[in-house]
Amino acid sequence: MAVRAEWTKLRSLPGNGWLLLALVVATVVFSALSVSAVDIARCPAPTECFEDTTRVSLWGVRVAQLAVVVLAVLAVTNEYANGLIATTLAANPRRGTVLAAKAGVVTAAVLVAAVPGVLGSLLVSRIILPGNGFSAANGYPPPSLLDEPTLRAVTGTVLYLGLVALLAIGVGTALRDTAGAMVAVLVLLYSAPVLVQLVGDPKWQHRLEKAAPMTSGLAVQATTALERQPIGPWAGLGVLAIWAGAALLAGALLFRYRDA
Amino acid sequence: MTTTTTPHGTDLGPAGSGLGTSRVGFGRLVRAEWTKLRSVPRWGLIMLAAVGLTILVSLLSAAGSSFQRDSVAPPPVGPHGGQVEDAFRFVHQPLTGDGTITARVRELVAVEGPDQPWAKAGLMVKDGTAPGARYAAMLYTPGHGVRWQTNFVVDRAGTIARGEPWLRLTRAGATVTGYESTDGTTWRRVGSVELAGLPATAEVGLFVASPRADRVERQFNATSVTSSSTWSTARFDDVAVRPATGQPAANWTDEAIGMTGLAKPTAPGAGPAAPAAPGAPDGLDGPDVPPVALVSGAPDATGASTVTGSGDVAPRAVDEDLTRMSLSGALIGLLPIVALGALFITAEYRRGMIRTTFAASPRRGRVVLAKAVVLAGVTFVVGLVTCATAFLVSQPGQRESGFVAPLFPDRSLTDWPVLRAVVGTALVLALVAVLSLALGTVLRRSAGAITVVVLLMVLPQMVAGALPLTAARWMMRLLPSAGFSIQQTNPRYEHVASVCLPEAGCVPDSPWLGLAVLTGYVAVAVAAACWLVRRRDA
Repeated sequence: MAVRAEWTKLRSLPGNGWLLLALVVATVVFSALSVSAVDIARCPAPTECFEDTTRVSLWGVRVAQLAVVVLAVLAVTNEYANGLIATTLAANPRRGTVLAAKAGVVTAAVLVAAVPGVLGSLLVSRIILPGNGFSAANGYPPPSLLDEPTLRAVTGTVLYLGLVALLAIGVGTALRDTAGAMVAVLVLLYSAPVLVQLVGDPKWQHRLEKAAPMTSGLAVQATTALERQPIGPWAGLGVLAIWAGAALLAGALLFRYRDA
Repeated sequence: MTTTTTPHGTDLGPAGSGLGTSRVGFGRLVRAEWTKLRSVPRWGLIMLAAVGLTILVSLLSAAGSSFQRDSVAPPPVGPHGGQVEDAFRFVHQPLTGDGTITARVRELVAVEGPDQPWAKAGLMVKDGTAPGARYAAMLYTPGHGVRWQTNFVVDRAGTIARGEPWLRLTRAGATVTGYESTDGTTWRRVGSVELAGLPATAEVGLFVASPRADRVERQFNATSVTSSSTWSTARFDDVAVRPATGQPAANWTDEAIGMTGLAKPTAPGAGPAAPAAPGAPDGLDGPDVPPVALVSGAPDATGASTVTGSGDVAPRAVDEDLTRMSLSGALIGLLPIVALGALFITAEYRRGMIRTTFAASPRRGRVVLAKAVVLAGVTFVVGLVTCATAFLVSQPGQRESGFVAPLFPDRSLTDWPVLRAVVGTALVLALVAVLSLALGTVLRRSAGAITVVVLLMVLPQMVAGALPLTAARWMMRLLPSAGFSIQQTNPRYEHVASVCLPEAGCVPDSPWLGLAVLTGYVAVAVAAACWLVRRRDA
């Protein structure tokens, strides 16, 4: 019942459809951009590139997640902005159910849109990579879902986007304000990758990458040299899950005990 | 969409329509907007978040950076007071009083390491051989032709780009003049300089320098720059020193100036050191020295000479920009300001307040301008205090991280480059706030405005590492994020090759040009906003 109501709200706003489309397109376009930027000619030797081709192929989500943030934040804060939240809560006074339904529907929509985006990126990279010298002959088989690490990276990336949606919903519920919630989520996500480039000390870089939601969550994209990543693939996604869980919990508590 | 009101140029009515006059003064508009801005407590909190984030991130980047000194000796200081590289092979003799030195550069080739466009071979008059001493030089470079360079920072191009140029230096009193020629008979003056306090006896001679080669390896979001010394060999002939009075000195001195750092002592058991060839100058016996460098370079009886050298005679390029580092928090602190800028207009649209505003002041473009003025003023003042604080509080952290004098001299807030960076960063924050306001006016949605500004200001630096170098450089120059180049305080010289990595925030333009790019974007956005509010229903 609550889920159906949330689903109706989500699909009846045309903007949401565009945002999901933007998620797919941006993932593929920015991934293609990064894939075309790697070239075997810049490596000391063709076989010594040590480039994680799968990771490069999925790079676009770093930018595309912006669409997820906007969608998830707006799903909550728009109701506060136009007063619909009063109607929602009058129809279903059990606030925990309302929040759970909303989080479930938005996350499901994001996951569904993430699949074509991520698979599309992989497909595009399979087309572009051999042209840049990353061919099977040089020791770079095209990224394929049949490889266990690539499959992990692909599933992990889809889950990453879902967790980002949950994080944004949590923050949005806690702050109730579009601009405030968006900026809070963006600071959470992007301050670490920007900071990592500013601090020179590798020890600090590792600390930051381990603790911050985006850098740790995207560790799941790594398929080679896992021992040199700041954090293991699933453990990294777990860190992001903790962030998302904490944000949701804070949002739920505030939602439960605060006037709408 | 049809326009139901024609706001521009339409008076609300006769003079007595309750407003006193329909043309609300701009000053009153600004006051009204200021009242709106300060009466929302939440916006004060957002501003506070911007201040806190900026200072916090600056402190973090100061604490999280480290600098290990790789050389113990402090770099020499040039006549201009800045740190310089002064390492080269100098085959010289004393010249007392006025006189001339002439030579022809036959060729200049790299003998170890890649070709260096700024390798140098030519003539030099120098105030002694101490590193950092003042000098004047006519020289040939493989990549940039004939140059006239003096005292490390001055560089002027000659007209000869290729070939085997003749070079000449003439001393008259304290004035040294450089000439170039293609045939050795018709001479063209390239430049002249007065070397104040040049002693009666100066060192003149042939010199060769070959700067370190920076090799940039960009493997997807991991950039490593390795730097290695290179050696170049120049062949001169028709070398002639002609004092105005008396005879030239009979003997040449072959010296490796400032190159002692190359002669690393070999570790015990690391194999025998390269044997020093007869005639090799002091300090040239390290394992990094190619055998060709050990051949004596003094001109023979016909005036022909071969000289091999390494090093550079130029201002020292410093990669770490401490001022920029101490203001780096602005990149994150900017985000709340973006939100504030968007909210300043979108909140009015959401609450319907905009209709009251436009009713009170029907000239809508001026309302947007008044908002921009108030927002820019407030952000600039807050930003200025924040940036000055961030600069001051990150100094101790930077010292602890190893950025100490003499390589990194103490800087004060009142030094011009620092002041420019601090005031400039506050300007960037104010401009971004206005950009966000204008986009908020155009889109009437805070989410959209914030997304666009973040895409334009914060993401470029993140995306830069994933693009090819040239594409990344152009992106950093052309997007509004170029405004952050105002934070760069290290002087940049055309005649010094430097690695400018876009992912490290380096923009290969002058600080002001970057700010101008940002200003251009803001101007266009404000113009679009003014135009749209007049055309559109509120």
